[in-house]
Amino acid sequence: MATLTLSGVDKAYDKLQVVHGVDLDIADGEFVVFVGPSGCGKSTLLRMIAGLEEITAGTVAIDGRRVNELSPAERGIAMVFQTYALYPHKDVYGNMAFALKHAGVDRQTIDERVRMAAEILGLEPLLKRRPKQLSGGQRQRVAIGRAIVRDPKIFLFDEPLSNLDAALRVQMRVEILKLHQRLRSTMVYVTHDQVEAMTLADRIVVLNGGVVEQVGTPMALYHHPANRFVAEFIGSPRMNLMPARPVGRENGSAVVEIAGGARLSIPVDPAENGAVGDDWQLGVRPEHLAVTAPDAAAGQPGALSGAVTVVERLGGETLVHAAIDGADTLVVKAGGDASLRLGDRIAVVPALDECHLFDAAGRALAKPRRAALDVERPRHDA
Amino acid sequence: MATSETGAVARRGLSAASIHAVLLAYTAIALFPVLLIVMNSFKGRRGIFGDPLGLPVGESFSLEGYTTVLTQGAFGTYFSNSLIVTIVSLFLILFLGAAAAHALAEYRFKANAFLAIYMIVGIMVPIRLGTVAILQLMVDLSLVNTLAALILVYTAQGLPVAVFILTEFMRTLSRDIKDSARIDGLSEYRIFLEVVLPLIRPVIATVAVFSMVPIWNDLWFPLILAPGDDTKTVTLGVQQFIGQYTVNWSAVLAALSLAILPVLALYAVFSRQLIRGITSGAVKG
Repeated sequence: MATLTLSGVDKAYDKLQVVHGVDLDIADGEFVVFVGPSGCGKSTLLRMIAGLEEITAGTVAIDGRRVNELSPAERGIAMVFQTYALYPHKDVYGNMAFALKHAGVDRQTIDERVRMAAEILGLEPLLKRRPKQLSGGQRQRVAIGRAIVRDPKIFLFDEPLSNLDAALRVQMRVEILKLHQRLRSTMVYVTHDQVEAMTLADRIVVLNGGVVEQVGTPMALYHHPANRFVAEFIGSPRMNLMPARPVGRENGSAVVEIAGGARLSIPVDPAENGAVGDDWQLGVRPEHLAVTAPDAAAGQPGALSGAVTVVERLGGETLVHAAIDGADTLVVKAGGDASLRLGDRIAVVPALDECHLFDAAGRALAKPRRAALDVERPRHDA
Repeated sequence: MATSETGAVARRGLSAASIHAVLLAYTAIALFPVLLIVMNSFKGRRGIFGDPLGLPVGESFSLEGYTTVLTQGAFGTYFSNSLIVTIVSLFLILFLGAAAAHALAEYRFKANAFLAIYMIVGIMVPIRLGTVAILQLMVDLSLVNTLAALILVYTAQGLPVAVFILTEFMRTLSRDIKDSARIDGLSEYRIFLEVVLPLIRPVIATVAVFSMVPIWNDLWFPLILAPGDDTKTVTLGVQQFIGQYTVNWSAVLAALSLAILPVLALYAVFSRQLIRGITSGAVKG
């Protein structure tokens, strides 16, 4: 149980700076996910917390105590790696007991802790097996067990599910979530998969190019992305973006004109009245677009007409790619039974409250906050 | 369709047969001298010269070579000298080589690339070019006629290749597994000893086999650095049966046949390690 504080953390290899001044406060028992595209510095940041990479500048503190100069073992952290990193020459029991043996813990305590971890993870029948005789999911469970046995202050996960197949990944994701509910430890988790981030995190840290783009609860990031990068990164399929030109204001909304001449009135926070510039972009998620017949849409605000170019059927839902007249293609999420065929003429109606506007620099125009969204995800210990 | 398939099968069979023919021919050529030595070691002088290619049966069978070797001369000492020199040199080559390779593969430091090249250059310069200087050095250190002199020279001779091969292999080891050991609280020395060494055992065995044979077979350095009776190695000891005017062939061949056995035993040990290492399991599957 511990808090973790990063202040002004930099990482540079020679002249190449890969992490830029990261400030972050992680509360005791919080599950924080670092997410970003590959090469964004998220793993480097995690390794700096672990003590595997030197910290070029700034401070990492655990429970308020600076740990920059401490070795990984002295920091009281445990880490789970993408490649599992089990010792191939030791059996499951040996892998889990290894750290404690080195710490000089007595045999009986080691045995108790290993059996306890094995019980949590359902590894009891496998204790005498070698890593080679285990499946990928079992190996990752052993790696997690190795972390649990050490009773660390902070768990670090470095893309632990990326080597597993899709079905197993979903299953292990749930197990990790349950583990957090059971242990209530502080956990920091790195992934490039925004679904993992959304489902696991109390708070998500979105990184891009070594810079923190936004920190927030999954729902806050989804509904109030700070900029275009976060908006596109969170949510699947990704948000539709199209050029938009601001043409005026009305009743707390910004009116923009998109290619093809259609005008949409998007609610924005009054504080954004000063927002200027021409090259804005309009963002709207596929799930906030509705497909209707062209004549039924007449008169609905913001309705756009176009033709179906691709239909992706996922069973429960259908992704429709619609080429909007005079503008780009939009991806629309429709019902699973939507009777659409290639070339059909359709109208696409955006939910204007859910549309986002980004200025020329990619910054999101603040939206009127909705009280319901400011509630943090219910804590697991509630 | 069917005919072309049978044709393909036949072609594959033919090419497999020709490959095997080549390999068998090579094996025969490689094994023939060894077989000749072992065969003739069981014959008397007359048998060797009368019928060099005949099997040691009936009248030609004789153990006089072996009795000469085991009674005359101090072959027990020679064998133990050879074994001590080979095993100690091997240990030093493998341990120091693996340690150096670990440092070169694992740590970023300024002289890393330079050091790696410096080690590799050692492969290309034959150590025998330095014989005179080595002899002078050993005289100055009062190491002439000691096994230590041989051990030092062989260690120097074997290190470059060992470092080269082990470094290349260690670069392929998963970084995560070493980091995981760091998080488990192991010191850098313990990581090397308890995590890295077990993982590279198959390569260690390979390097051991490569390094062992030239040391065991060497005649040059024992002749120059340790020709004394107490420090002779087997290959040097055999020379006592090769006189200026007469050569006791059965004794020479018997000694050489005996000299094969320890190497064979060491090889068996390492090759088992090699196989066990390969099958012991990797990081992920």
